[in-house]
Amino acid sequence: MTYTDPSRKGETAKVEYDYLVNATGPKLNFAATPGLGPDGHTVSVCTFGHAIEAAKSLKDAIAIMKSGKRQSIVVGVGHGTCTCEGAAFEYTFNVEHEIRAAGVRDLADITYITNEYELGDFGVGGLVFSQNGFQTTSKLWTESLFREREIKAILGAHVEKIEPNEVHYELVDGKKDVLKFDFAMLLPPFRGVDMKAFDRNGVDITEKLFAPSGFMKVDADYSGKPFEEWLASDWPKTYRNPLYPNIFAVGIAFAPPHQISKPRKSPNGTLIAPSPPRTGMPSGIMGKTAILSIRELIKSGANASVASASMSDMGAACVASAGSGLKRGSAASMTMYPVVPDYVKYPNTGRSLEDTFGEIGLAGHWIKLLLHYMFTYKAKARFGWYLIPE
Amino acid sequence: MENPNESIAHAPLPTPKTLKQRKNILIQMTRFIGINLKMVKMIRKGHHPMEKKVK
Repeated sequence: MTYTDPSRKGETAKVEYDYLVNATGPKLNFAATPGLGPDGHTVSVCTFGHAIEAAKSLKDAIAIMKSGKRQSIVVGVGHGTCTCEGAAFEYTFNVEHEIRAAGVRDLADITYITNEYELGDFGVGGLVFSQNGFQTTSKLWTESLFREREIKAILGAHVEKIEPNEVHYELVDGKKDVLKFDFAMLLPPFRGVDMKAFDRNGVDITEKLFAPSGFMKVDADYSGKPFEEWLASDWPKTYRNPLYPNIFAVGIAFAPPHQISKPRKSPNGTLIAPSPPRTGMPSGIMGKTAILSIRELIKSGANASVASASMSDMGAACVASAGSGLKRGSAASMTMYPVVPDYVKYPNTGRSLEDTFGEIGLAGHWIKLLLHYMFTYKAKARFGWYLIPE
Repeated sequence: MENPNESIAHAPLPTPKTLKQRKNILIQMTRFIGINLKMVKMIRKGHHPMEKKVK
């Protein structure tokens, strides 16, 4: 391993382990789209440094609008196989809120560009809510928010390349077009971090341990069956590598068995397929599952029963900010149960209607703020930290 | 593939009353409690790794 800590940067070391938890998160694969990212022509919010740069760039665009010049603002995902559409959605509405608060909304053309086939898909195939006695969809709910905030959308898009002030993209129907921009925040696709695996004899076993995407294989069904045939039971339960059960991979680092949203190909053969999101609450639960399993294995030996938490049997809450401010803030609060739809257990919608809901309002902003402080407290392992859920 | 912006143009628009309710402190305080309770219920339902042990 090579240290990245500034005080030991570049220093290499060998660390022996009895158990290994791969929780590296993703490699931000800006290289997949020429011109994408902070070294290209767009900004990103994936790291603290990126977010600072994006905020400065947005401030500059607002200053130009204040001088009376119209600006084209583009937010979304920068490749057909991206994940984290929820984060792009959230940033879109934060940007809109800031521009409106600056009093220059009439001078901004805001466009959301995404690989999702429909708005409200979020990489999980969309949601069905029960609301006021009716079943409604996240599509309708999201479209309503886009109409209210006057934001345009480009759906089913694969961004091919970025040139100065131009996004070149292809749609799922094969048509290609160019979108001009003055400010663009596009998320990169993810892949596994650049790790190599070797056995005791120094033989390269990288292909055995990792999927071609660079994510680590765990106890999932990787047989590659058609999308229409997948089952909730294909998803991993223990996050243990089948060949080396003392190795675990959690969060973005594990290789999902298949997409949750239906993958599509354009007539030109371009894959446009949102990848399954597995950050946030599910990541925390997977991490806890791995550690509880290791505790059991240490206590009771290699044949011990281990903890289990499949994404098809766990829920997730997502609070997408749509503007800050204790009195004027807003956020979309959503929960879904389970994350991976289970059409055997819930034949109609794949999820429990009772535990899947969405709501927009100031309360969502307060929840977002509360979660921010609670998770920071938990991360610092202060008194009673374990009482705070993931 | 339908034009997403046509679909957005036909989406339901919240009424001024709904928009006011989304900002009303008293209503939002009750929603804050309501949403948190829903989240707690969902968490209690599916976040118990040690209760679902496997070999």
